[in-house]
Amino acid sequence: MRRAPTIEQRERRFALLLLGPALALLLLTTTAPLVYLLWTSLQRLDMSMPWLQGFAGLGNFAKMGDDPRFWNSLLLTAIYTGCTVLLQVLVGLGLALLVLQIPRGQGLLRVAAILPIVLAPVVVGLFWRTLVLAPDFGLVDLVTRALGLGSHNWLGDPQLALISVIAIHTWQWTPFAFLVLLATLATLPPDVYEAARIDRAGAWQRFRHLTLPLIRPAVVMVIILRTMTALSAFAAIFAATGGGPGSATEILNLYAYRTSFTELNLGYGAALATALLALTLAVSWLLFRRRQAAA
Amino acid sequence: MTARRRLPRELALYALAGLMLSVWAFPVLWALLTSFKSERDVLAYPPVWWFTPTLAHYREVLTGPSSIVPNLLSSLIVTVATTALTLLFAVPAAYALARLRYPGRRASGFYVLATQMLPPVGLIIPYYLALQRIGALDSYFGLVLIYLTFSLPFAIWLLVTYFEDVPLEMEEAALLDRAGRWGALWHVVLPQVRGGIAVTTVFVFLNAWNEFLFAVVLGGNRVRPVTVAMFNFISVEQTQWAKLAAGAMVAMAPVILIGLLAQRHIVKGLTVGAVKGGGRR
Repeated sequence: MRRAPTIEQRERRFALLLLGPALALLLLTTTAPLVYLLWTSLQRLDMSMPWLQGFAGLGNFAKMGDDPRFWNSLLLTAIYTGCTVLLQVLVGLGLALLVLQIPRGQGLLRVAAILPIVLAPVVVGLFWRTLVLAPDFGLVDLVTRALGLGSHNWLGDPQLALISVIAIHTWQWTPFAFLVLLATLATLPPDVYEAARIDRAGAWQRFRHLTLPLIRPAVVMVIILRTMTALSAFAAIFAATGGGPGSATEILNLYAYRTSFTELNLGYGAALATALLALTLAVSWLLFRRRQAAA
Repeated sequence: MTARRRLPRELALYALAGLMLSVWAFPVLWALLTSFKSERDVLAYPPVWWFTPTLAHYREVLTGPSSIVPNLLSSLIVTVATTALTLLFAVPAAYALARLRYPGRRASGFYVLATQMLPPVGLIIPYYLALQRIGALDSYFGLVLIYLTFSLPFAIWLLVTYFEDVPLEMEEAALLDRAGRWGALWHVVLPQVRGGIAVTTVFVFLNAWNEFLFAVVLGGNRVRPVTVAMFNFISVEQTQWAKLAAGAMVAMAPVILIGLLAQRHIVKGLTVGAVKGGGRR
């Protein structure tokens, strides 16, 4: 005689039925391509030299070692990610702390903050390239000319271009940090502050010893999410500079793209993308470990 | 603190708030203004604030030879298909992850989270090669498939946080009523997470509509989302400033509208994501 399935067995079956399709789809759409990517990174696959195809072993990775453009892109990735994340968190937190003290008009600010977030990064890049940073006609040049600082080629000069793409990213995503931290700050119990005020604790001390420990988990999570976004930033830089001038704004993500789809060297591009994946995993591992330590 | 000391402080705060407002809103408003200018007014120095507004650029981007209407349609198809498929797979999966007991629950949750670590550029290379081999470049199938890679893990994790908030007692009561697993899920739990499903829909829609890298590589002449079509107005020789502005306004109208209407939901979604983890963009 067959026994009726127990409650646990039925729950397991139900879970498999609900979760199975999604897991199978993820396996097909993310894990299978990952395996294919790793396989491609071991191939010599250059569409501009199709006669040179074949297994290359770790050749593509060895090539990275003495490829100055790779090291340059790695350095730019570090600068770009470090600067944009730091600026977003500092500016976002500062603004959130100040706006919290404004009795009215917070709603309007929230609407304005939503605006950059919902725009497509590629459109943001184009807006900045044409309306904000274009020499002579751009908004920034109008201001610098009015102030007597003269006109600058914000996206054409290598050093200014890097600063410009950092500014674009910071402009678009600081509202994220601002909104999340504002919402977190608003949930803190007000009586904590009252007690501190009676204790005559200064504003900085209140922030350092009361507010910061309470919002630390949110700050760490913002840093993690913003770092992931910055590491895979693409469309805004692509639209604003295309990685140029030369390779002045070519972060690793853009270098991998250009190698694969402009120079059509997909084997080496796959190796570069694998390097970016390794970097992403290493950075997120470090950040998540810090998060556990902080929690 | 006396009133006299408070006033300058408040004024300073409001001045700062005004500055923030303009820094975030101004580029968009400036683009809106530009889209109504004639090409000559665009390049005027100093910039003109009062000008005869023209709808010529809007007419051109909607009905002209470089119309972006087909691109809007492409975007709509890809976005709606992605959103529908994502919800279809993510809602049951999120419920299982949040509520059911089965072996490997932690591992499966971690797996979903880990799939988000793949950088887009690392995905696009194998997709390009595979779709090229089966002749599916420039197809809705390929684009929707790769859009699922960012929308599905994100949606599952966002929804898990909402399912976790549903009180267990409600579900148990329904199960005692012999409603069965499906009945309890459909009639009791799902209505409780309607808000969460709405937030998830908004986020998936926004991300899919705004996507660019996958669209530019895997798209083509047939499937060409509107984010890619923005480059119609820019060439090496010249930039058609006002037309680009008008095109961008039309392309971004849906997301700006959703952003303004679903403002509260978006802030909540961002916060949930930020506190509990997950989400790439």
